[in-house]
Amino acid sequence: MNVSSLSARQRSRLLLLWIVVLITGLAIGLASAIHVLNNGLGVTNLNDKSPWGLWIVVDLASIALGAGAFTLSAAVYIFRMKRYATIARAAVFVGLLGYSSAMLALFLDIGRPDRFYHPLIYWNIHSVLWEITMCVVLYSTVLVLELVPIVIESTPLKRYRLLRSLSHGLHNLMPLVAVAGMGLSLLHQSSLGATYGILTARPIWYSPSAPVLFILSAVAAGPALTLFLTLLTGNVLRKKMVPDDVITGVARLIGFASLAYLYLKLWSWLASNYYSRLPERSQGLELLTLNTPYGFTFWWGEVFFGAIVPAVIMLWGRLRRNRGLLMIGAGLVITGLVINRWNVTLSGFVIPFDWSPGVGNVFPINEYQPALIEWGVALGIVCYGWLAFTLGIRFLNLYPEARPLDDQSPQPAAQPHPLHPSVPGAQAAPGAD
Amino acid sequence: MAVMSEVKKPNEQQPTAQEKSSVISRRELMTLLIGSGVTLAAAAALAEPLSPAVAQLLQAQAAADGHKPGRRWGMVIDLSRCVGCDYCVYACQATNDTTDEMRWNIRIDDRTRTGEVFHLTRPCLHCQHAPCVEVCPVKATYHREDGLVVMDYDKCIGCRYCQTACPYGARSFNWFDRGDAPNPRVPEWGRPEVPRRPRGVVEKCTFCIHRIDAGLARGLTPGVDPAATPACVNICPVHARHFGDLNDPRSRVSQIIASTPTLRLREDLGTEPSVYYIPPKGLA
Repeated sequence: MNVSSLSARQRSRLLLLWIVVLITGLAIGLASAIHVLNNGLGVTNLNDKSPWGLWIVVDLASIALGAGAFTLSAAVYIFRMKRYATIARAAVFVGLLGYSSAMLALFLDIGRPDRFYHPLIYWNIHSVLWEITMCVVLYSTVLVLELVPIVIESTPLKRYRLLRSLSHGLHNLMPLVAVAGMGLSLLHQSSLGATYGILTARPIWYSPSAPVLFILSAVAAGPALTLFLTLLTGNVLRKKMVPDDVITGVARLIGFASLAYLYLKLWSWLASNYYSRLPERSQGLELLTLNTPYGFTFWWGEVFFGAIVPAVIMLWGRLRRNRGLLMIGAGLVITGLVINRWNVTLSGFVIPFDWSPGVGNVFPINEYQPALIEWGVALGIVCYGWLAFTLGIRFLNLYPEARPLDDQSPQPAAQPHPLHPSVPGAQAAPGAD
Repeated sequence: MAVMSEVKKPNEQQPTAQEKSSVISRRELMTLLIGSGVTLAAAAALAEPLSPAVAQLLQAQAAADGHKPGRRWGMVIDLSRCVGCDYCVYACQATNDTTDEMRWNIRIDDRTRTGEVFHLTRPCLHCQHAPCVEVCPVKATYHREDGLVVMDYDKCIGCRYCQTACPYGARSFNWFDRGDAPNPRVPEWGRPEVPRRPRGVVEKCTFCIHRIDAGLARGLTPGVDPAATPACVNICPVHARHFGDLNDPRSRVSQIIASTPTLRLREDLGTEPSVYYIPPKGLA
């Protein structure tokens, strides 16, 4: 359905329907969450053999999809690519939604939500999970700091002088905040991979490439979500949300990050499954292939449709210029990432620990399918994200340079490129479509 | 991010020849300097709380390299004797008040290369390099001075990373609130000696830490005096389990380990378990 061809009345009805659907999902999620909080994690399908499940997938995927914030902030404030400021606000907002979604999932997933703050006061500096918790908390603070000026500026709050000067002060701090944000993100995005990669007892997980694969896939998928939402919003509002060359630049970033991810993924696979043969690992992989759709989803979901196809779309100018195809490409990267986080998390648990010195086949493979209540909570979290994004588009100035599709007025005068003053300006930057 | 319209100052619009040629502008340099300053400051601030931890690590390293101070509790389980009666499983369940689903001490039946069945019981192995201790974000599970890996139920947030990391599946999570539900092993196999754990925390075998501590305070020797010895060791009808101080060469466990070939589970993982097994025939 082409939303942009509908009348204004139809569109406002559609928006209302959309919001009603989201609120329904949110209500289902809330009811599920209350049930879990009241009755404990025993109401899920999690068990001692598969202690992590769907919610950890939601957590990992949300954090990775929130990575657009640090990537594009870094582009603007550290690499001085000022033109990306037009999309970076939205990226920061989406990032905050990702991180808050992850924290919601984790809050429900831990057995004692009343102790969620314990990692902040009881430090185990040796634990990657402790490091992740600290980084996620600090980085969420960074995201809030980056978002406060936008909220002040886009709402009646801007009438207050104190808030205006707060906003201005924060704005001046932004390069520092962006440096801090990048450091924190690089740390925890990769440590999330290390969460699995360091576990010697789990042959499918144990891998030095896991942390790097996690951050590379996040650098591809985070901006992909921002790009997808930007194109979708533009389609619905019949607007050009950001200049074309910014779309091009983000698409190419996604393309190159996907290639880097593919490169490492390929070598990681070759090194651990083709050029070497650790009995435990090959037996584990065999178990996975026989008992789960892992083999299929890995090659088709993660590699082919999740990385190769979108890389071609993002890097081939003729394909990239087709906005519909570009949206599909971004959607594929996002889907590939979710499949990857699902595969990584659940595959490791399927293969049982074998700690007996005997030779019998005594440890059955572990099975886990998310319970309905787990899907309910996950649905609620996803609907929270969409609802917050919809309201953000409505009430916040997330796209400062959005203009109507048929706008023929000249773009604002090109500013000199901050790093290379001789380059005429952003609009004519190389690679612009 | 506050992306506000950048007001260009006049002198920035016409960069001097010098500025044009330089790869990095003054502003970028300042950002870089301030950024690294903040990083250094953060590192310095972090170094303060970190230094005792580093000192501790170095001490532990020194202790591991040289002499062996203090005690280290360990167990020897004789698989050639074990008849698979499950007495140790039930006694543990009664003493530590666990359900059938969350046993701290379990039995599996496996077979040797020659096809003979043997019974393998597994308490927590109290590894010296315990993956669970390393991954716990809040130090809710930690090493005591005597080598025991114990839980602080008041700190545990229930993230279950320890369950994910433990190579032996020795940890159980309290999925439900057990309330006052009866324990099927009580009173036949003993009486609970420790309080039930609350919903939402992970628990595991403690080598009956309450007996060890109370026994030592009364001058008893764990592994020799039953009151100071884990319930599973006391109840074994074929004396397949032995308990004692691995750092004391005169202890029963040390003597067995010195005189008999023993194995530990998954030594290849480098976890250094404190539980040694005397292999059954055909497995040594």
